Amino acid sequence: MTKRKVALVIGAGSVKCAAAIGLARVLARERVDIDLIVGCSAGSIFAALMAMGGTSDEVAAIAARLWTRELTSTRDTRAMLSIVLPKLLGFGEHFGMRSDRRVRAALADAFGDTRIEALPTRLLITATDFRTGEQAVFERGRVVDAIRASIAIPFVFTPAEVDGRLCIDGFLSDPLPVGPAVRDGADVIIAMGFESNYQERIDTPGRFAFQLSSIVTNNLLRSRYAFHSVAHHGEVIAIVPEFRERIGLFDTARIPYIIEEGERATEAMLPHLMRMIDSPATHAGEA
Amino acid sequence: MELSVSQHGDVCVVGVRGSVDGSTAMQLQDTVAAQLTGSAARMVVDCAELEYTSSAGLRALLAGVKECRRQGGDLRLAAVSGGVRRVLDLSGFTGILRIYSDVDAAVSSYAS
Repeated sequence: MTKRKVALVIGAGSVKCAAAIGLARVLARERVDIDLIVGCSAGSIFAALMAMGGTSDEVAAIAARLWTRELTSTRDTRAMLSIVLPKLLGFGEHFGMRSDRRVRAALADAFGDTRIEALPTRLLITATDFRTGEQAVFERGRVVDAIRASIAIPFVFTPAEVDGRLCIDGFLSDPLPVGPAVRDGADVIIAMGFESNYQERIDTPGRFAFQLSSIVTNNLLRSRYAFHSVAHHGEVIAIVPEFRERIGLFDTARIPYIIEEGERATEAMLPHLMRMIDSPATHAGEA
Repeated sequence: MELSVSQHGDVCVVGVRGSVDGSTAMQLQDTVAAQLTGSAARMVVDCAELEYTSSAGLRALLAGVKECRRQGGDLRLAAVSGGVRRVLDLSGFTGILRIYSDVDAAVSSYAS
């Protein structure tokens, strides 16, 4: 029997992406080998840490140190003023209201000069080409550069230049990038995605912008998932953890709870998942 | 996966039990297609005992819906719940399929 090629896709979802640690724990316990990991936005951080071969505890510890509110704590005052005085101060495509100095330092601390192509597990990181809107997929180069591009949150961080492409957050092209795993020939694609929270109240321009972002992201998540489900010859298994508690963008204190929900969601799918992984590589159900 | 077929007037009800994935989806698709031969294409898929569907199951359902509608009928779902409902929501299928609380409601929907 031909071994089925298994891919894990970790979608955009800020700190909620830590649920992928719970998923990885269950898969490790069941001795499921992952052949490919795809990561998008904050999911790219967890994807890279897993592709490096870190244990779930190590991944959780590094992520908690890395993904903190301090990443966005340094304002770029000139950039903020450029919103109201664009002609005077200049306004362009490299706009971002927060300095990325801290995020670059945190990524360098976690990944150093590690290259994507040198990792023990194949890794793909997605971002979005700011000029064309197309999905950018990084399969080689420095991990830190690809992640920096993938987490270039609009308005917060400047788009990042990688390999001559100006890139912004991966969620803008696909919050759950199953496509690169399909192209890479995966038979079984375990896709962990996250729905964006809607705002409980809208009393600031920031919350207004986040609400718009959530509406677009959730609709994009559904439409892209629908497309991949009907277009792909193999199996796409969506795992979307449901959080009883509201999770903030940088709620790292909740990582243990988030991991639990990831484990719970994976356990619920496990019998189906194992059957698909263990079954011969037939492609029944093609429409 | 186990399938059952029953006739309710001119509506054919296909009951699905267990899990629809790549290894079973073609069986579901073939069963739906077989019921369409020479009859009005009015189908109900009873999901009361359907535990899970992967993307392969979605493709089988979509193929059935398209064929029924091409023949002037429809394929409607009954008693969808839990994880199956979640997959249908996530894939946008709840926006293109008619879904009813139980088989009786789905069957009688064809009369209205």
